[in-house]
Amino acid sequence: MELVGEEKKIQTLFSELRLADNQTLPSFSATWSRAQARALRPRRVFNLPFAVATALLICALVSLAWWSTRWQHTQQPNVVAITPSGVVPDLKPSEVVPAGGKIPAPSGSEPKKPISAVHRFKVSARLRADRLAARQEANLLAAAKKQATAISSWRSPTATLLSSPNDDLLKSLPQLNESTKDLKSFLPNTPK
Amino acid sequence: MKIDSMDIAELKAELETLHSASFGWALSCCRRDRGEAEDVLQTVYLKILEGKARFRGEAAFKTWLFAVIRKTAAGEYRRKLLRSLKLITGAEQPDDRASPEVGPLATFENSEVQIRFQSALKSLPARQREALHLVFYEDLSLREAADVMGISIGSARQHYERGKKRLRETLDTAEVAYGISWRRKENPDAV
Repeated sequence: MELVGEEKKIQTLFSELRLADNQTLPSFSATWSRAQARALRPRRVFNLPFAVATALLICALVSLAWWSTRWQHTQQPNVVAITPSGVVPDLKPSEVVPAGGKIPAPSGSEPKKPISAVHRFKVSARLRADRLAARQEANLLAAAKKQATAISSWRSPTATLLSSPNDDLLKSLPQLNESTKDLKSFLPNTPK
Repeated sequence: MKIDSMDIAELKAELETLHSASFGWALSCCRRDRGEAEDVLQTVYLKILEGKARFRGEAAFKTWLFAVIRKTAAGEYRRKLLRSLKLITGAEQPDDRASPEVGPLATFENSEVQIRFQSALKSLPARQREALHLVFYEDLSLREAADVMGISIGSARQHYERGKKRLRETLDTAEVAYGISWRRKENPDAV
């Protein structure tokens, strides 16, 4: 590129700058060896942001699972609460659980671990809930049948007013070949 | 010349030849911060060693190397900004980087003309400064400068022309302020 006038001046200034830079130029071998050392250095496998994000995700999943389990448990007493007061579940004595939540161990057997007792309580509660639901359904069906029968046999209170002794006469039609005498019976107001 | 066909010794020799020019370019990209320029150059060599920066022979080796330096410097600058933002919120950390050198170079750099010239360069927009540096300092053509900067040759020419104009204006203003005229030096006959 041909330089003219002030370009030459700028070129001179840049040349001076280049000379100055060259005086403090770091040695290539030092820079290269440092780069090589960095290349050989083992990389940090542990990535802190990634680890934190993973831990948060795991916490969220665990709490969600725990919450959903808790929610299912809290829903079961509500099923019992909506049962009509007249219906009493026929619970066997073995299924009755005392207020403490502990099931008394049968005599002669080994005392069971608390985990199995809790499990048994859960199973019996679920069975009870299922039985209650089935009974409720049967009751509802019977009530519906009763209602259907009642509706089909219902009569209006004024239905008797619509019937009269001359119903047969009113509902029958005169025949074409009938005599006048017989026809007069259809005209009760005419003088006989 | 492709990196695949180059063995490490050949590559090292090529980089060594361009080391001085690379450092000058790194200095320009790092706003004349020597420590940062050294770090950038080291990172560039590391990238080349690890194969993260690979020369495919699409341009001249020098052009490709300069483009890598430019990108690395930009990345380092961003990282430095982020660190400084963190420092604002946290406790201040002592800067363990070596203090600016004092010696013949410092004496030279502190010479009046160079001080004015460097401050004028710093006042230029980055693109214009880069265009001027690549043409005047590295002796590249405008096409090569455009390749390094990743822009079209038309844009490179515009940056170059505007940079020259602005540099001249800034230097003129500085001269008036200092009471020195480079035009007078250039044309001794002028009154």
